[in-house]
Amino acid sequence: MTSITTAPQLADAFAAAGGGERFDRVIRLAQAIFGTPIAALNLVGEDEQHTIAAVGMRTGDRPVEESICQYTVQQAGLMEVPDLRADERFADNPIVAGGPRLRFYAGVPLSGPSGRRVGALCILDLVPRELGPLEHKMLADLGAVVERELAIEAEMYRAGDVQRRLLPAAPPDVPGLEMAGLVRQAREAGGDFYDWQVIPGSPRGRRHDDPATAATHELVQVTLADVMGKGLPASLLASEMRAVLRTHSRYVPLDIAVARTSETTEASLTGNGAFVTLWTGRLDPIDGTLTYVDAGHGLAAIVSERGVRRLAQDHLPLGLPVLDEWKLGMDVLALDEMLVVVSDGVFNVFDDSLDRAMSALQRTAAWAETNRKSVAAVARSILDYADSHGASDDLTAVVVRRNATTA
Amino acid sequence: MELTEQEIGTCVTLAPVGKFNLVSAPPVKARIDALVAGGKVKIVVDLGGVDFIDSSGLGALIGGLKAARQHGGDVRIACAGEQVRAVLKLTNLDRILSPYPTVEEALHDW
Repeated sequence: MTSITTAPQLADAFAAAGGGERFDRVIRLAQAIFGTPIAALNLVGEDEQHTIAAVGMRTGDRPVEESICQYTVQQAGLMEVPDLRADERFADNPIVAGGPRLRFYAGVPLSGPSGRRVGALCILDLVPRELGPLEHKMLADLGAVVERELAIEAEMYRAGDVQRRLLPAAPPDVPGLEMAGLVRQAREAGGDFYDWQVIPGSPRGRRHDDPATAATHELVQVTLADVMGKGLPASLLASEMRAVLRTHSRYVPLDIAVARTSETTEASLTGNGAFVTLWTGRLDPIDGTLTYVDAGHGLAAIVSERGVRRLAQDHLPLGLPVLDEWKLGMDVLALDEMLVVVSDGVFNVFDDSLDRAMSALQRTAAWAETNRKSVAAVARSILDYADSHGASDDLTAVVVRRNATTA
Repeated sequence: MELTEQEIGTCVTLAPVGKFNLVSAPPVKARIDALVAGGKVKIVVDLGGVDFIDSSGLGALIGGLKAARQHGGDVRIACAGEQVRAVLKLTNLDRILSPYPTVEEALHDW
């Protein structure tokens, strides 16, 4: 929604997000209170009016030229037309001159965030009538309820949008590595995130300011974490986890970065009764050396058509009443192998069976190898599989492969 | 979600039934907190009726465990089914929340 500037564009965006029970409920109330055959929630877009909730008429789109509500959104308060046939603006309207031959209209304009009027809550009748002052007040009150729902929707959408922008836009360009990451949140925002960053320095701890290794020996750190719970609360904590881990990772070895992240975020996590499972690893693109910490995540593996090696440790997640000592694990990623890390939402569709999940990964690796699929295609196929097998949680996958030709 | 409660001596057993997730976890966590606040700090959660647990369910158990331990008690779990045990094992949470086969065994030294 960030590129949206006009009220009609905002209306189109709301309409694209769809209606829902929360709007239907208000429309049913309006229809019952006023005893009209028709009540509707219309959003006035650039070219079309979108009816996203209605009683007595179909939801859907009609050309904005035929919209009665397009006049309602031009005024600050309620618009009432006691007899549509007697008003020259509407006498020739298809739903007045033909169709249901409507006679009466009353609509209250609905403001979106920042006060732009995006549509109207309206009632329509087959006979001319006039509302009393009390009825005007009630229609305005119902409109305020809808406005509140629209505001919540816009806020959630923006939160999700911000979270999507916090994810890495594109993998770092590191010679010798192909990387792809993908998240599908079950709601507008969620507790899964992945990240990657280039860590200057050699595996032996020499820093980037050491001229012997400068610019020649970068490591790539790949992270996938899952904050307990779902939705906006989880996404707030996910943002903090990501920032804190990134900051520490820049300067210290991986195991220390995880321990410091745990210390730094302890108050936020325990204060919110939340914990975080985390897998993070540093890969040397030149020789494939991989050091990692698995903090209760358990869903990272090195896969090829030859087999699967889980990169799992016995460590606890972050944010528990008992603090753990996170130690480094080590492996080597061979040239024909892939590093795959997924979230538990993917794991769920295998009925939480590690055997089934790991053999599915091996099949994916064989498919990727045979068909020369990109790491992005592998990540997509993993999430597509989970989507089509009833996944209900946030889904995340990160796939990394070394590339022989440029290494 | 159905939640049955039973007092056995100084201990309390809680038995949630169905899916233990974002929707059903908060009432269980709230009940554990209320028990702990009322001085009942030895709590066994009977998971025999739970066919699915997610991270929110785990969070409720961990949060309850933390509250109980701060007051000198503990939360123990019993009768965990296959999916519950798989998730506990995957996250290594079985290290601090080890499943007892039966409620009786969970209560044995309380």
